[in-house]
Amino acid sequence: MIRAFPAASGRAHLVLAGLCAVLIAPMFPTHAVAQPSDTTAIPPSLVEGGYDDKPHLKGLFGRIAVGGYADLHAVWQREDGVTDDAGFLLKRWNLLTSTRVSDHVHVWAEVEIEDGGKEVRLELAQIDFLLHRAWNLRGGMLLVPLGRFNLAHDSPRNEFTDRPLLATDLIGTALAMPGLGGFGRIPAGGMVATYELYAVNGFNSGIIDASSVGTRLTEGGDNVEDNNAAPSVAGRVAWFPRPDHELGLSGFTGAYNTYRIEGLAVDERRMVRIGSVDVRSRLLGLEWNGEAAVVEVDVAPGLIGLFAERQAGFFLETRRVFGRNWIRAMPASSFSAAVRAEGVDFDRDLAGDSRRQLSGGLHFRPTPETVFKLDYTRGRARDRFNNPIEQAALKFSLTSYF
Amino acid sequence: MIRAKLHETTRRPRSRAAVVWAATLLVFSFALGACDRLMTTAPPGGDIFDAPLPGLSAAELAAFAEGDEQFGVAFAPMNGLGPIFNNVSCASCHSGDGRGRPENALTRFGLAGNPMREYGGPQLQDRAIPGAEPETVPSGMETSLRLPPPVFGVGLIEAIRESDILANADENDANGDGISGRPNYVTPPDFLPAHGGSGGPALGRFSRKAQVSSLLQQTVEAYHQDIGITTDFIVEDNYNPLASGATVAADRVADPELPAAAVHAVVAYMRMLAPPEPGPMTARRIRGREMFDQAGCVSCHVPSFRTGPSTIPVLAGRTAQLYSDLLLHDMGDRLADGRPDGQASGREWRTTPLWGMRVMRDFLNGHAFLMHDGSARSVDEAILLHGGEADSARIAFEALPGADREALIDFVESR
Repeated sequence: MIRAFPAASGRAHLVLAGLCAVLIAPMFPTHAVAQPSDTTAIPPSLVEGGYDDKPHLKGLFGRIAVGGYADLHAVWQREDGVTDDAGFLLKRWNLLTSTRVSDHVHVWAEVEIEDGGKEVRLELAQIDFLLHRAWNLRGGMLLVPLGRFNLAHDSPRNEFTDRPLLATDLIGTALAMPGLGGFGRIPAGGMVATYELYAVNGFNSGIIDASSVGTRLTEGGDNVEDNNAAPSVAGRVAWFPRPDHELGLSGFTGAYNTYRIEGLAVDERRMVRIGSVDVRSRLLGLEWNGEAAVVEVDVAPGLIGLFAERQAGFFLETRRVFGRNWIRAMPASSFSAAVRAEGVDFDRDLAGDSRRQLSGGLHFRPTPETVFKLDYTRGRARDRFNNPIEQAALKFSLTSYF
Repeated sequence: MIRAKLHETTRRPRSRAAVVWAATLLVFSFALGACDRLMTTAPPGGDIFDAPLPGLSAAELAAFAEGDEQFGVAFAPMNGLGPIFNNVSCASCHSGDGRGRPENALTRFGLAGNPMREYGGPQLQDRAIPGAEPETVPSGMETSLRLPPPVFGVGLIEAIRESDILANADENDANGDGISGRPNYVTPPDFLPAHGGSGGPALGRFSRKAQVSSLLQQTVEAYHQDIGITTDFIVEDNYNPLASGATVAADRVADPELPAAAVHAVVAYMRMLAPPEPGPMTARRIRGREMFDQAGCVSCHVPSFRTGPSTIPVLAGRTAQLYSDLLLHDMGDRLADGRPDGQASGREWRTTPLWGMRVMRDFLNGHAFLMHDGSARSVDEAILLHGGEADSARIAFEALPGADREALIDFVESR
């Protein structure tokens, strides 16, 4: 007989119990919990450039702030001497809102219109219940805390025209999922640490079923309705030893396939596990930003060999800002020169199926909100036979907050 | 003096900005000027496996591009992959449109000439989408590993007149040279007569045992058997006969999964693929060709054919330097797989064309995987595996002085 309601697995019970604790704990405040009038109830920005660090957001009607950014790309891209792409693309037009409903409730939202309108999606829609700088609740469509870049990826902030391969091809930035959890900021001696910990719907079977090029997380992040009644867990801890220095550790684990239908075990439970480390620093007069991630995916026995079980990626970029006030008519203007090295290995058990590239860019900011970027990228992809494919791109982009 | 200094400090940022802009423009101009070097360069058409034949019309090139894209389309469970299969796309097996590697070789199995269809034969599909069960080789079966062959030049092979191929046949070795090439006449599948086939036995030209008579058949069956994709030509999925009957629903995509137009696009693409150019004839290669002739290799590896008429004008009346007679030969015990295919016995194989040898390693990451199963890693090893009708040629090769052997190998590797 088929049960009317699916039975939650042991791990799901644990996740649900954890969630209940997260929800109930704030109802019994201790002396450490701030009073509504206490300004420490409002945590400062968790991630520089993240959802709560948008200086361009302008107040409307008192408590609502509205803003956004636009991102236009001009691209000339070649592969093995053949022009792959040459043209213009309104890559993104994003609309952001922030509403302070009360001292304790803050609502954030971001709607993304991508590729000239081909894709419209709700990238972020979260309700924050602010209690204490160290202990707050969040629910909604959340940016999954998987590396710093997924949390802070606005085009005017991203140094290059393109996002890192790690973000576009491995993690699938902007990776957002419905979920619920907590976040906060904890002073530790003279330093500060932040954390975000959420239960989310997780990935779905699309990472295998919808992907024709092997395992791709990017094909399975659209899990608006949970597919397996087993929440996944994602979290990030960041440590700030000094201002402008940040070390983040992120993790994600959860089942991605539909292994139980109406209480019946219809498949093996298969997991996705992701670990990520990110750094941001200022050294030798340069700003450094980097991230690395490893991915493990349980693959059905009949697909092993074709679909990767282990993937990895990294990027490291550095930039030097110069030329502040060089243009008298634009006193807030600056230039920056940047270099990025990056790579993604889509199948660590195979010699091929990877991409490596090096980018250099010269960027001009007439104001901090607006950037003109000119980038050159040279790279090499390797197919599953490990044959090289030479790639190069010249990109110009204009992006601005509004 | 103070005024002059002030003037200098106010001018300096402007000049710096001008320098930055000038440098940017310089870099940009340099990039445009040197774009070929900076923006990657295309290898010569004769050095790749996926170049179109020269002389194609714009409309034919459009069809070529369409087929090229379809050839690379990879399938996933969501768009029809499986339920049982070997790989996800044409390009996944044919590296750069050339031959495959042992890792993606297909396994054929059977017993005493019986294809063992009740056990899932003649081809093993060892992968399956979730919900389906992959096949395994039942114990006691004879197996044969088959490396995916190159797909370039097949349009030229198709355009060779049947009479020209048969002219080299000598089934009873009437000339007494020990070589008795014979054609493989095969029964075409039911869907072929409606698409230009006669319906009766046809001369097999393609695949390792010349067991396939048309490119349409090869393509349709590869989609069906290798990728698990149904088409307008074969509308029912391939299932593991030993799996539970309930798993037939694992592939939820409606059949046919691929329209006839997509299949025809791939066929047209393959027809128009040019074989790579052979290398220049150096003195050593000229000597190597002499040794190739003298050892008797040329008896089966016939240097060229002239094509007959074709619906694609550039394929007609062309010289195809394939180095194969496209006939079956007994290759001896070491290469025998015991598995008949059409009229081909378990000891017979179609003479493998040698064109493309020059750039083969470029698309196999520096390796050479020769013979039907990829077991030979060099031309030398491949020759030494020859037996049966090729015994005398192998013995002659072994007897050659070192320099002449190397010259022969150099000649073969330059094709």
